[in-house]
Amino acid sequence: MSAAGLSTKNAPSPMVVLPHYALGAIAFIIASILLFFAAGDLTTSYIGPKVLSIVHILILGWVTMIIFGALYQLIPVVMEIKLYSEGLAYASLVTLTIGVSMMTWGFWESYTAPTIIKHAGGGFLILSMLLFVYNVLMSAKRTANKTIENKFIVTSAFWLLATVLFGIFILFNVSYSWVSASSMDLLKVHVLMGMVGWFMLLIIGVASTLMPMFFIAHQLNKKCLERSYILVNIGLVAGLFLLYFFPNTAWISIFALPIFIGMAMFFKYNLSAYKKRLRKKLDIGMKLSVLAFIVFVVSVILGILTIIISDIYPIFSSKIYLAFSASLIFGFFTILILGQMYKTLPFIVWLQKYQDKVGKFTIPLPNDLYSEKVADAHYYTVIISIISLIIGLLISQEIIIQIAAGFFVLTGLLYAYNTFTIILHKENATPLKKPEFKK
Amino acid sequence: MRDTSNLSKEEQNILQIIKTVIDPEVAVNIVDLGLIYNITLYEENKHIHILMTLSARGCPVGDTIMQHVEVAVKSFWTDYEVEVELTWEPQWTPEMITDEGKAALGQ
Repeated sequence: MSAAGLSTKNAPSPMVVLPHYALGAIAFIIASILLFFAAGDLTTSYIGPKVLSIVHILILGWVTMIIFGALYQLIPVVMEIKLYSEGLAYASLVTLTIGVSMMTWGFWESYTAPTIIKHAGGGFLILSMLLFVYNVLMSAKRTANKTIENKFIVTSAFWLLATVLFGIFILFNVSYSWVSASSMDLLKVHVLMGMVGWFMLLIIGVASTLMPMFFIAHQLNKKCLERSYILVNIGLVAGLFLLYFFPNTAWISIFALPIFIGMAMFFKYNLSAYKKRLRKKLDIGMKLSVLAFIVFVVSVILGILTIIISDIYPIFSSKIYLAFSASLIFGFFTILILGQMYKTLPFIVWLQKYQDKVGKFTIPLPNDLYSEKVADAHYYTVIISIISLIIGLLISQEIIIQIAAGFFVLTGLLYAYNTFTIILHKENATPLKKPEFKK
Repeated sequence: MRDTSNLSKEEQNILQIIKTVIDPEVAVNIVDLGLIYNITLYEENKHIHILMTLSARGCPVGDTIMQHVEVAVKSFWTDYEVEVELTWEPQWTPEMITDEGKAALGQ
């Protein structure tokens, strides 16, 4: 059997990938519970120990954890080579888990926990990121696939490194005052690098590979993606420069304009994939992914409003900034992960259990490994969650934020149920009945 | 494979058997998806050659599908050697999907 270029030959061991999905699901539930207890804080400020704690467990424990796992699985798909090292992948998983746990607790208990907790947690995190970045770049070095999608992924790895190094710099600067710039201003640089440089670029690269594949859409115009790449990176570099050297100057947020246009190009590319799709009826994974893109539009609108309002009406700016951030992290990123789990995890487990049984036994399909009803349920709970959260943050109503948190916890539990149902699936193969056929 | 007129009767039978192979992601058989490009049965050599493609290079269940084709055909043509060859030329396009395939995809 001639099988050159097949990604399954290059796929890593499921034992590298599956724990990321499991730990990510747990982190999401914890983040949602913390959101409930931080609801009061969120009505008064967008920065504070509880908010920082939630942001870090959500971004690192949930989104980054899943991204690491998914990327270890996907690199053979997008780059058509084996992952450089599975050992390094395990090491990054362990250090990420320890680092996130310490940072989350260290931030939540900022006033009582020893500072060393945050610093040590930061140390574990930077190690985890270094291991991940090294693994990705060494893998990318081997690939012949120098596509625009891969450029996004490789570039995001560099931005991840920059984000984490800068984050650690801020943490130590609080204690040792190496530079006179305020932590608040330095934080903006850190957040911009992380949200746009790491997350956004990576999501663009991966989503632009996977969504057309899952929609079965062909002959898309990649110029959109090329323009998106240039615009987002220009905006990012300009933003970092302006935020660091000219903080609090009026209208510097103009740097966000090319970023938003770049994000719009990414949206346009996926919209064309959606319109050209061969499968008209969407499965739950794609339904959730489409929902994520709808929330993405809301994020972009809120983001643009944040820029406009922060210079004209500063009193309202922190509320809209919170709503924008939440719509992006709890909204777009979270819902996209919920959806894409269903497009990836069942196949990873299905291949592990049934690859050598196809054609010899009657076996379930990947979609049979989870409950469709449970997935449909969390489709609706997450809609209620994100709408309530955005409204609750905009009007600073603690009770509405708590309702949102409650629905996020429910979403997390339902999602975790399916995640663990898939991971713990017990083989179910029965002898094959040969089809009736007259030769 | 939209035009099967160049296939012998036996090769058409092989195509029917390959129709039991389902793409697990879309739950449509790979013949109606247009993934089978050619089938050749060599009676003298007892050799069956199947030329096929996949809808995307990154298809994560690619070699599982190919393995299924080999196993399915071998289970009927037990005294034949079955070779499944993967090609990316010509590149698969949605136009290769049969009318039955399109109906199954909900078009």
